[in-house]
Amino acid sequence: MMLRVANALMLNEWLERIRDRWVLVISGLFALLACGVTLYGSGLSSQSTLLIGPSLVTLAALFVPLVALTLGHDAIVGERERNTLGLLLSLPIGPGGLVFAKFTGRFMVLACALVVGLGGTVFFSMGRGWSIVPRLLLDTLMMGAGFLSVGMLLSVIAKRQITAASLAITVWFLFVFFYDLGLLGLMVVTDGAVSSEVIAYLVLLNPAGLFRVRMMTYFGGSGLMEGLGLTEIPVPLLTWVVWGLWILLPIIASGLLLFRGRAE
Amino acid sequence: METIELDHLTVDYRAVRALDDVGFPIEKGGITMLAGPNGAGKSTVIRVLLGLVRPARGRLVVDGKPAGVTNAWKERLGYLPEAVAFAENLSGRQVLAFFARARGVPKQRIEVVLDRIGLSEAATRKVRGYSRGMRQRLGLGIAILADPEFLILDEPTGGLDQEGLTVLWDILREWREKDRFVLLSSHDLTLMEQRVSRICLLKQGQLCALGTPEELRFMTRLPIRVKFQLDAASEEAPIFVDDVHNWGQVICLDHRDNHLSVEIEPDDLLSLMDIRNRNAAAVKRIRVEEPGLDLVYDSLLKKAG
Repeated sequence: MMLRVANALMLNEWLERIRDRWVLVISGLFALLACGVTLYGSGLSSQSTLLIGPSLVTLAALFVPLVALTLGHDAIVGERERNTLGLLLSLPIGPGGLVFAKFTGRFMVLACALVVGLGGTVFFSMGRGWSIVPRLLLDTLMMGAGFLSVGMLLSVIAKRQITAASLAITVWFLFVFFYDLGLLGLMVVTDGAVSSEVIAYLVLLNPAGLFRVRMMTYFGGSGLMEGLGLTEIPVPLLTWVVWGLWILLPIIASGLLLFRGRAE
Repeated sequence: METIELDHLTVDYRAVRALDDVGFPIEKGGITMLAGPNGAGKSTVIRVLLGLVRPARGRLVVDGKPAGVTNAWKERLGYLPEAVAFAENLSGRQVLAFFARARGVPKQRIEVVLDRIGLSEAATRKVRGYSRGMRQRLGLGIAILADPEFLILDEPTGGLDQEGLTVLWDILREWREKDRFVLLSSHDLTLMEQRVSRICLLKQGQLCALGTPEELRFMTRLPIRVKFQLDAASEEAPIFVDDVHNWGQVICLDHRDNHLSVEIEPDDLLSLMDIRNRNAAAVKRIRVEEPGLDLVYDSLLKKAG
């Protein structure tokens, strides 16, 4: 019974989101830039993968959090504003199931946008970019899922859709731009008193930072990170755990907040 | 389901008590209406039934046994929220199709419901092009889609034109005829007066009055108005007017041309008819007007303090 409702919700989310202008515009822009970067990179050097890969990582680290937060920010508050949240919760599904189904439906849209965007790069790199795409896609999806989950939480906390949108933009700026600046500031202010190990862990607490570190390590090897002074990169398992927590904790918190009667 | 009852419900929203020991049965084969000013607790009662809030005390009782808001319970419900809007980039049919999938309703039922709510022709149009009344009708369609045993309608008349109201009245009549449960909340007492079988009047989270419209009217003891059309040719007409004038029980009297209108206590109606019978030739027509439900509502709320 609950599975039936969850399936219907996921399909509905898919149908709604693929008609959402903002999602289409941002996803289209991402695909366009990714293909542009690939086309430009593949024409420059025979070792184009080394040029295209980091460029795509930078692009994804910038755009994907925005796409994911945009996708997630109105999931619950949008229903609340349309007076349909109660209607959805009158279906045989609980708040947790509702949040999870909405997350899954929106994640499918995100995955589709990323497959189209990054898949296009394979075509434009004349097949040479094929080797990096699966790994890039996997990590991009993980990062996107983390930000989507945060977007869902914002949509539960915010009482109005415009507030949720403002919060989503703030979170995007915070994690994509200011977080690293903050860490740099911390290093300067403490004059090296904070060890590079602590800084490395702090970098990895940010899903966008985690994504960049994993991909830079993938493309440039651990030596690249040593060059940045981040010698103590935690084991890959830990990075997966951090990502898992970024995806699960906001979703669980969203479900709990709805369950506690903040549905309307 | 044979009986549904709300048993001594108390709901708190942090420091605010939204419902205070409210209990009443929801009539099978009838239409129970929640009435009361804004903030009276009408929506909270509905939220309890949908499982959106948990009562601090009290419970839902189904067929004489305490019942929780489970998925099995939700399968029996159809719900129309107040002033509902839908995803604007989907068509009416797509919105219904989603709820049909979620409720496990066959696809064929969608066309039946679209026809029933008068949206067959607009089914492929995006909801953003719908008027408020059309959205309300779509909401009604969703509520009845799974042919539920218990229909919960929050302000169902909102935005409905005459055509939409006819759809609503048909649905309400059908649910009565099928001997099912309907609970609705409305501010539109005048429209609802002839349709509801039981009214539950709430004020500041407390139950002020409960009963049929007639029972509530009786509780208020509001005056009734009796209108006589006099026969100008009859010699008894002036005598009748004088008799009524001198009767002493009239609260308010208005005599213009051949029309006499008097306001009296409900209990004095038989005495007034006696006077009329003594001057039978004086009166061509009689019309008795009971106080409207809006007046009854005001009176009961004032009495509640």
